[in-house]
Amino acid sequence: MLQTEQYTINIGPQHPSTHGGLHVEAVMDGEHIVDSIVHLGYVHRSVEKIAESRTYPQFVPYTSRLDYLASHLPTLGYCQTVEKMLGVTVPERAEYIRVIMAEFSRIASHLLFVGSLAIDLGATTGLIYCFRDRERIMDLFEMTSGQRLIASYMRIGGISHDIPDTFIPAVRSYIADFPKMIEEYEGLIVGNEILQARLKGIGVLNAEEAIEYGVTGPNLRACGVEYDIRKADPYGIYDRFEFDLPLGSKGDSWDRLLVRIEEMVQSVRIIEQALEALPEGDIKAKVPRIIKPDKGSEVYHRIESSKGELGYYIVADGGEKPYRLHVRAPSFVNLMVLPVISRGEKLQDIIANIATLDPVLGESDR
Amino acid sequence: MENWFVNIAYALTNWLTGLGLSAGLADFILLVVQWVCIIIIVTLNVIVLIWLERKVSGFIQQRLGPNRLGPFGMFQTIADAIKLLTKEDIIPSATDKLIFRTAPMFFIIISVMLYVVLPMGENMVIADLNAGVFYFISVGSLTTICLLMAGWGSNNKWSLLGAMRSVAQMISYEIPLAFSLLGVIMIAGSMRLSDIAAAQSNVWFIVLQPVAFITYFIAATAELNRGPFDMPEAEQELTAGAYTEYTGMRWALFFLAEYTNLVAVSALMSTMFLGGWQGPFLPSWLWIIIKTYLVMIVFMWLKWTFPRIRMDHLMSFSWKVLIPVTLANILVTGIALQVFKGMGW
Amino acid sequence: MKGKGLLEGLWITLRHLFEREITIQYPEQMPYLQERFRGCLQFDYKKCIVCGLCTKACPNNVLSYESEPDPNSKKKLLISYTIDLQYCMFCNLCVEACPTGTLYFNHNFELSEYQRDDIKIVYEIPRSAQAVISEPVDSPIEMVDSDSEPAPQPDEEEAKKQKQINAMITALQKNPVKAVSKLVESEDQARILADILQADEKKLIRMATMMIEDREKAGKVALAFVNKELKDRQQEGGAGNEPE
Repeated sequence: MLQTEQYTINIGPQHPSTHGGLHVEAVMDGEHIVDSIVHLGYVHRSVEKIAESRTYPQFVPYTSRLDYLASHLPTLGYCQTVEKMLGVTVPERAEYIRVIMAEFSRIASHLLFVGSLAIDLGATTGLIYCFRDRERIMDLFEMTSGQRLIASYMRIGGISHDIPDTFIPAVRSYIADFPKMIEEYEGLIVGNEILQARLKGIGVLNAEEAIEYGVTGPNLRACGVEYDIRKADPYGIYDRFEFDLPLGSKGDSWDRLLVRIEEMVQSVRIIEQALEALPEGDIKAKVPRIIKPDKGSEVYHRIESSKGELGYYIVADGGEKPYRLHVRAPSFVNLMVLPVISRGEKLQDIIANIATLDPVLGESDR
Repeated sequence: MENWFVNIAYALTNWLTGLGLSAGLADFILLVVQWVCIIIIVTLNVIVLIWLERKVSGFIQQRLGPNRLGPFGMFQTIADAIKLLTKEDIIPSATDKLIFRTAPMFFIIISVMLYVVLPMGENMVIADLNAGVFYFISVGSLTTICLLMAGWGSNNKWSLLGAMRSVAQMISYEIPLAFSLLGVIMIAGSMRLSDIAAAQSNVWFIVLQPVAFITYFIAATAELNRGPFDMPEAEQELTAGAYTEYTGMRWALFFLAEYTNLVAVSALMSTMFLGGWQGPFLPSWLWIIIKTYLVMIVFMWLKWTFPRIRMDHLMSFSWKVLIPVTLANILVTGIALQVFKGMGW
Repeated sequence: MKGKGLLEGLWITLRHLFEREITIQYPEQMPYLQERFRGCLQFDYKKCIVCGLCTKACPNNVLSYESEPDPNSKKKLLISYTIDLQYCMFCNLCVEACPTGTLYFNHNFELSEYQRDDIKIVYEIPRSAQAVISEPVDSPIEMVDSDSEPAPQPDEEEAKKQKQINAMITALQKNPVKAVSKLVESEDQARILADILQADEKKLIRMATMMIEDREKAGKVALAFVNKELKDRQQEGGAGNEPE
């Protein structure tokens, strides 16, 4: 009598996919996945321990390296956490410029998501087009801060340099070209029936499970839960902007793709509003050169990063270096839901699931 | 210019009989010369094709392909071939050595055998079999065995898995492949490839059989393990394909064979649907080259645009969509032929 | 129609097949870098007041210096300054901390060396403060927000400028290709320009003066020299060096 047995295969950590050093151990029964175990830690750089030996301003460049695909967002989170601790008010011009850079980071991160989803499923051209458009955003970052990818642009109290004169015309031209880019992605990637057949109904995550596991960000909104920290618990000046939250209905991979593409369009809306309202003024508040928060003060501040809720928890002990700094990384929590959504699927679907959860390994391993 | 090659063949035969050899021996020597020519054509084609694929994919992605070695990067393939020739030939110790070593050889032999029936121009067929199409399809389907040999001989779970998947894929798409061509054979009335090419002097069969063209195109892409159907090869993303354990020249032979297959299938397509060697002004052998390359560029265009189809969608597409469509095509063609015959056309 | 999305995708890629490519042929063509691009950290020893703010600001202990008190005044004199580039994050904290604009980033991003010891940039400043040993002195790129000191007095400025010009002349004589590489776009052009300047003393002095006084004009004159030389060579029938 023929017998079948389950076998284990390892996906990664050396993986031609673009998500960093992710290791998934899948237990298979023929074609179907019975269970999968996510092993993290291959990109652990002990960022939280390093924070204990750096002063508060010195830690700012390290935060950019957490979520390196959207590097302004973690820096924004950290600066706002320290400002909350010290009670510093950031000048208006700095706040608006911060919003513009944060939303551009979000667009850049989602562009890379679309590109890497395309190449994971086999359409290499999709990646190249998305990166071509991401290059223009990188040029904008280079114009303001000097670096393309890891731009440690924000500082505690504001931003480091003012925007040059060439910035606003470049932003306007990018916004003007943006609808054409979206149209191209719709035609090549979203409208492609093969891709639709591969993503629809795959990796279904229902809303209760998502909330139980702590999933946040576009993954949660794809399940139909309307929760965005920019609207639920606004930080900075986000309560002054008008934008919609795209929601999915079924929580499958297809919804996760559509939610992110629509979010890019909404981010452009926010940038347009911020450009209109950009005031003149200072770019940095008066912050003491040596920052020493009160002993025993602790603060937790969270922002809506492109992957979900990015939170910083800092405990101060009266010195100039933090006593403990913890980063609540959204990718770490989002990845934990991978075994749940891949159960019973086929092997090719787990690749699509990893791609649509949009993990960044630098953030989840810190 | 039109009859260059034909004249060379006659001259050679006449010279050999003039030397005192019997006619049969002269013909045999001519055959050997023709085989050598095929090998040369295959090699040249593959060299050009690999370069063309990289260039076309580069231009689609708004970048240049290879452009450093030689004008427009034309010598890149030669550099790659030299690199592959000088690589170490690793054969894992627990493999079935005979099968492991002979799989690539069989693959390339079978792919080259396909060229025997293809008309390279008017009166330029090496063996004008009266069952030419049948020969082509049946020899072409032998490539599945080579892939299975490669997967089994590697003694590797993932190679076997990849090989079995590709065998399933290739078997599923054999039937639509054969059925698509049946329509053309019915209209032309013979399976001899030169007859089919000659029967398109008034109108090309792509006009008369558009559905068959499209289904044959899709089935051929699946047979060649190319384009949106390259799940067995790109399995390297997930586990490993049938080719994992192969290194150096053996691996190169597999890809050589795949590209050879591609050229042969494109040449068949241009013969059966696009009029073969017919065309004004230029000599016939030039026309077939142009048409074959046009078909190959369409193959490449498809590959670089579409993502991969999942295995179960692939099978369901073949059995549930392509086979009924091709059967319907045969039915309609048959009825139309009887109607037109009755009307006296 | 069921296959419509597929056909749209094919149409998009077909359109791109005939468009111009967006890539540049590096290293024959250099990428366009924005003004604030952070290439390699540079140190202009003349502006340094040895305050130590840069070393305190750096997260990674990249910068270090040796100093001794000046016997004549209450200030300190700098003996040597070390930038250990292998640990540098290019985060810009040191540039922002410096009150005089001594540290700045240039546009050189090709920083690989063959030996690990060569990555450290060491500036040794002798008493006479005449020559710089490891890196040639460039006039620094204007940072938009740097808090620079008020402009020095005219004759002081003149003497300073003359010293800079002398230093530039020395740099052009010793290591011309590196010194002019900031002015022109490609390495070939830098080599041609270096040959021209080495051959003609007056041109060298004139180029050094222009590089300190008016950098843009220096760039234009440099390009004019190179183009003229290329045209002369082409007319002689020599090999033109047009990149592909």
